[in-house]
Amino acid sequence: MKKIFIHGIVAGVLSSMASLLYFNLYQTTLGTSFDKVINAGSIVGSSIFGCVLMSIGYLLLYKFNKENIKGILNIVITVLSFASIIGVISISLPLEIESPELFTGLAVPMHFFPALAFFAIEPFFRHQKAITKTAE
Amino acid sequence: MNQLRFVVLFGATMFLCAFTTIQSIDWKINDGYSIKFKATDAEGVFKTMTGDISFNENDLSSSKFSVSVDVSSINTGNGMKNKHAKSDKWLDAAKYPSISFNSSKISKSANGYQVEGTLEMHGLKKQIVIPFIFSSNTFKGNFSVNRMDFGVGTMEGMSKKVSNEIALEISVPVTKK
Repeated sequence: MKKIFIHGIVAGVLSSMASLLYFNLYQTTLGTSFDKVINAGSIVGSSIFGCVLMSIGYLLLYKFNKENIKGILNIVITVLSFASIIGVISISLPLEIESPELFTGLAVPMHFFPALAFFAIEPFFRHQKAITKTAE
Repeated sequence: MNQLRFVVLFGATMFLCAFTTIQSIDWKINDGYSIKFKATDAEGVFKTMTGDISFNENDLSSSKFSVSVDVSSINTGNGMKNKHAKSDKWLDAAKYPSISFNSSKISKSANGYQVEGTLEMHGLKKQIVIPFIFSSNTFKGNFSVNRMDFGVGTMEGMSKKVSNEIALEISVPVTKK
């Protein structure tokens, strides 16, 4: 159980780092500023929150011995990540923000970073679990 | 002698007064102006406006407003809505790049002033009356227009979610030229 949560937190941290890097790169390159809408705190918070939610999903799988449907859970996570971009597309930003049309280019990729990070490091945690089982 | 000097000076003063007229005052539009619009399911601002304002509270007959708003400067806070508003389904910014207002008469009203004039939008002209106040070198006015009078959008499909009446709130700070 602990490892599953560590998996989520590590994924959240990696996702935060990728998102912050992208956030700064995007704003510098395009000369825009969305600081009134997104900031480092909200990026880190939502990344870790998203990844911990995924961990809870995995935890439930293990708890109810449904590891065989992990693939379906992964698809659900991906679909939910994709569905979350509807919020980005439909949001109305404060009117003083210039070029709101550039906001989707900033926020949409960031909505996929948590799932991407979670799936990317998942084999490491699965591998450790297998070792633990062997040792047992 | 003194009496004669007084009569000449008095006469000259009266003569010059006869040619004195109250002139309208030209105003320069300052940064910080705002043109906000609000309807059901649509609100935003126009960010760019230009124009000439001549206004004298003591001589309204020579006062005149002639302003133009850049349609492509519309900002609803949402990129997709901005694109939609500028498209030929709504304001058609490519074909009608500006919304203009030219006054024909300015008069006093109970709460301030009102200006009558022609509003041209989306290629159509309509006479409207805009009530406004002028204080601290700022013109402020609230009024509404019916978008269907100007053929903006339709009342079909998703477009009918946007109400016909569009409320406008205008604030224009100015300085004397």
